[in-house]
Amino acid sequence: MTDAPLHAALAWLRKQPDVRYAEVRLVDDGGERLRVRDGRPEQVTAEASRGVGIRVLGAKTWGFACSADTGEGALLATAARALAIARASGAVARTPVAFPEQAASRGVYETPLAVDPFTIPLETKLAALDAPVRALRSGDDRLKSAEAWMDWTRQRKRLLTTEGTDVTQTFTFGACGMNVFASSADGSSQRRSYPTWQGGDGFQAGWERVTALDLPGNVDRVKDEVLALLTAPLCPAGTRTLLLESSQVALQIHESCGHPTELDRALGSEISLAGGSFMQPGMLGKLRYGSPLVTIVADATSAGGNGTFGWDDEGVPAGKRALIERGVFVDYLSSRETAAALGRPSTGTMRADGWNRTPIIRMVNVSLDAGAAGTLEDLVADTDDGLLVATDKSWSIDDIRLNFQFSCEIAWEIKHGKRTRLLRDPFYTGITPRFWGSCDAICDERDWRLWGITSCGKGDPMQVMHVGHGASAARFRDVTVGSAS
Amino acid sequence: MRAEGLLTLSKEVLASAGEAEAELYLRVAERGCARFAIGELGQHMQLAEPLAVVRVARGARVAETVTSRLDRDALIDAVRATGRAATLVPEVEAFPGFTRGDEPAGPSPDRYVAATARATPEERVERLAPVLTAIRDAGLVSAGMLETTSVSEAMATTGGCARSHDGTVASFRVWALATPGAGGAAGYGGQVHGDIGALRLAEETERAIRVCRMSREPASLDAGSYDVVMEPEAVTELLEWLAAIAFAAPEVEQGTSPMAGRLGERITGDGVDLVEDPLCDDPALGFGAPFDREGTWKRRVPLVENGVARAILYDRTYAARMGAVSTGSAQLPALGSAGGLGPTSLMLGAGTAAGVDDLVAGVKRGLYVCRLHYVNGLLDPRRAVMTGLTRDGCFLVENGKIGRAVGNMRFTDSLLEGLARCDGMTRERKAVPTWWSDSGAFVSPAVRIRGWRFNGKSQEPVDL
Repeated sequence: MTDAPLHAALAWLRKQPDVRYAEVRLVDDGGERLRVRDGRPEQVTAEASRGVGIRVLGAKTWGFACSADTGEGALLATAARALAIARASGAVARTPVAFPEQAASRGVYETPLAVDPFTIPLETKLAALDAPVRALRSGDDRLKSAEAWMDWTRQRKRLLTTEGTDVTQTFTFGACGMNVFASSADGSSQRRSYPTWQGGDGFQAGWERVTALDLPGNVDRVKDEVLALLTAPLCPAGTRTLLLESSQVALQIHESCGHPTELDRALGSEISLAGGSFMQPGMLGKLRYGSPLVTIVADATSAGGNGTFGWDDEGVPAGKRALIERGVFVDYLSSRETAAALGRPSTGTMRADGWNRTPIIRMVNVSLDAGAAGTLEDLVADTDDGLLVATDKSWSIDDIRLNFQFSCEIAWEIKHGKRTRLLRDPFYTGITPRFWGSCDAICDERDWRLWGITSCGKGDPMQVMHVGHGASAARFRDVTVGSAS
Repeated sequence: MRAEGLLTLSKEVLASAGEAEAELYLRVAERGCARFAIGELGQHMQLAEPLAVVRVARGARVAETVTSRLDRDALIDAVRATGRAATLVPEVEAFPGFTRGDEPAGPSPDRYVAATARATPEERVERLAPVLTAIRDAGLVSAGMLETTSVSEAMATTGGCARSHDGTVASFRVWALATPGAGGAAGYGGQVHGDIGALRLAEETERAIRVCRMSREPASLDAGSYDVVMEPEAVTELLEWLAAIAFAAPEVEQGTSPMAGRLGERITGDGVDLVEDPLCDDPALGFGAPFDREGTWKRRVPLVENGVARAILYDRTYAARMGAVSTGSAQLPALGSAGGLGPTSLMLGAGTAAGVDDLVAGVKRGLYVCRLHYVNGLLDPRRAVMTGLTRDGCFLVENGKIGRAVGNMRFTDSLLEGLARCDGMTRERKAVPTWWSDSGAFVSPAVRIRGWRFNGKSQEPVDL
């Protein structure tokens, strides 16, 4: 399509006397979803979606409308509908939305790729999934089911605003992973996944990332572990020293730091789905969130990150800011409107998951700085008595992000600096600031990895977003653990 | 475009594309979402959700395309591209082909209400204005959503199957809060119905205000086992996870479902009936199209009868593979997420209690739970072990009376084992609005469960 309809809609909005700000956002998505299960193709899906979302700030408040028809007539009608909604809602608004001006942004962002995944033949991709699935199922009747998957999305996004912003971004998102289920004669079942939970590790990169992931090279270890779990003892309940491997630290960051530092949640805008936050504005600069070892940074510029971009959907350039600095809560993930409520600048985190959704505050790459505790094996060697848990299995946290409980696929008991017996169905639970306050060791850069979550849900109606979390393994003291069975 | 128009379009596309074995599902949802928070209507949205799902088979090689482009030429291109992709993929074991024209249709409850489909932004604002005022006048903070949705959908296959359906859903969810986002006292009200005129906004708002006021100054209760009375909003949170892990053929085949290998066996309490009932003709309980994405007519499937596992749910391929008949349970994929199969309209059978007060009267010391939050059922799916927290109202019950508020509590327990300890359910049942109500809703009475296990508490003071 040409740019003309986008500009026409924006020009019409500029002429309306009660339009204080408007954005016209074209999103054109294409992708594929591939899943092989037990030697058969479970899903071979191509995807395409294109449309325009228009958000308008009227005299008092917002309106949003969208259209899959990207012709000029349709977009003019959509702009008029968005403004009509803003006017209708303005009738019950008590105070006009405060929305500070933003300097116009212009430019282009594109995911760096070594090998474009859309040039790889479909047969090659399916074969790359089929081989590890067949290997995962072979050699033992207790191996009941295995699957592997691969998702690719190319998203082209053009944002025009009444402030003069005009940015074009092209993202290539990928995700890949596998898992296997084993069952014992008594009917109990165990799962083991690689590389991690929830649909596989997400990233912005090309086919080179799948090659590096090396699914076949991890098959034997995954099989051995799932079979060993069938006869492993349950994780005993108690208060223990707990080591989280890197991907589990990433999930811990996501749930107990990423979400509660979303300023829309803290201010009360997300009650209708997700809830609020215990991290309230009055605590900025005062709340002891974690131990002095804990620095957590929101970085929308991390290379290859699932939450990396050039500009957010309000035209704010991507940046890097600490949320937790040496254990102290110092900033939020914010938008222009929410940041203005605190007299701060936006941290540039407004994103919508498609053309037919309004932007909301989303995590970018929210990452824990590496520490100085060496590698994971160094950390194990430094632990006299504890548990090491890996790979998320279930996740739950309360509506202000204080009380969490996560279970993992696998645990190892640590005695005198060595991994000893395997334990099954471990969970751990805690209260967020107390848990992070008990962190006494974080592994260094050699263990640090940028993970990606492909399915972060937020908003109402629900939006699903790509976000990232960098982390290395870490140790926490006096944590309540038990067995989920 | 209404459903008949979509059906005509789908037939034309299949006729023009030239594929011998193809299936096309078209769906257009128009949603008006008036979302309010912090006492203001800050996100009011008119959302268009067009969706086409194409499947083409070359023998048993099957490929799929999901697209938002519903113009004729784009759809023809999509069918042809899907056909080319199908030649490149391995065969699907036991693929039965797409639905033929002789597949019988069944009853189709009337689920379209013009007043809901025609609701304007101005009408939504007008209906919400008293809600915002009532909560503000109560000295509380409001949040929630009033949504009006119309969905038209049609599907056709080259084998002659043709289906179409128009439906509407109006839903209302409201919170009254002591603080905007910091937690503390909160009350909730909600309702879903095909007709916007049937929504009782004032009643649900009043309930939210009442529960919020009751929730002030919560006591801190120790973890342990407590008899609980759960409102339908709490029970359906648990049923959503049971639906995700228990009733679909893939989970049964995989061996992770609590139903796997147990059909005909008792898996929960004798008084427990769970039915997938997508054709329920009560406009307060039944939503969505009467056929599934494959064109199979949906039907009532008793999954658990008197606590005994009776049946699971299939699409056409899993039914062929497992020697069964499709139950019409194939779910449509969305952009960005795979289709699957499972319940859309899971209903827990009613009991005999006249109301919640009757259930509470039978509790010497326990908890009355209004809602649950962030339930997760993946801890031990074979036993349906779940964890989650109370939200928007949790109260101590002593000597048969609801008493003071209790801070939010975390539970970890098996739902099936918990329902085996259930000794009371209300006669009245309620459909609980969710983000997927336009495809169905889960329905439950209030229930009383003995010895529900709580293993933690939340909302402790945070030290600065």
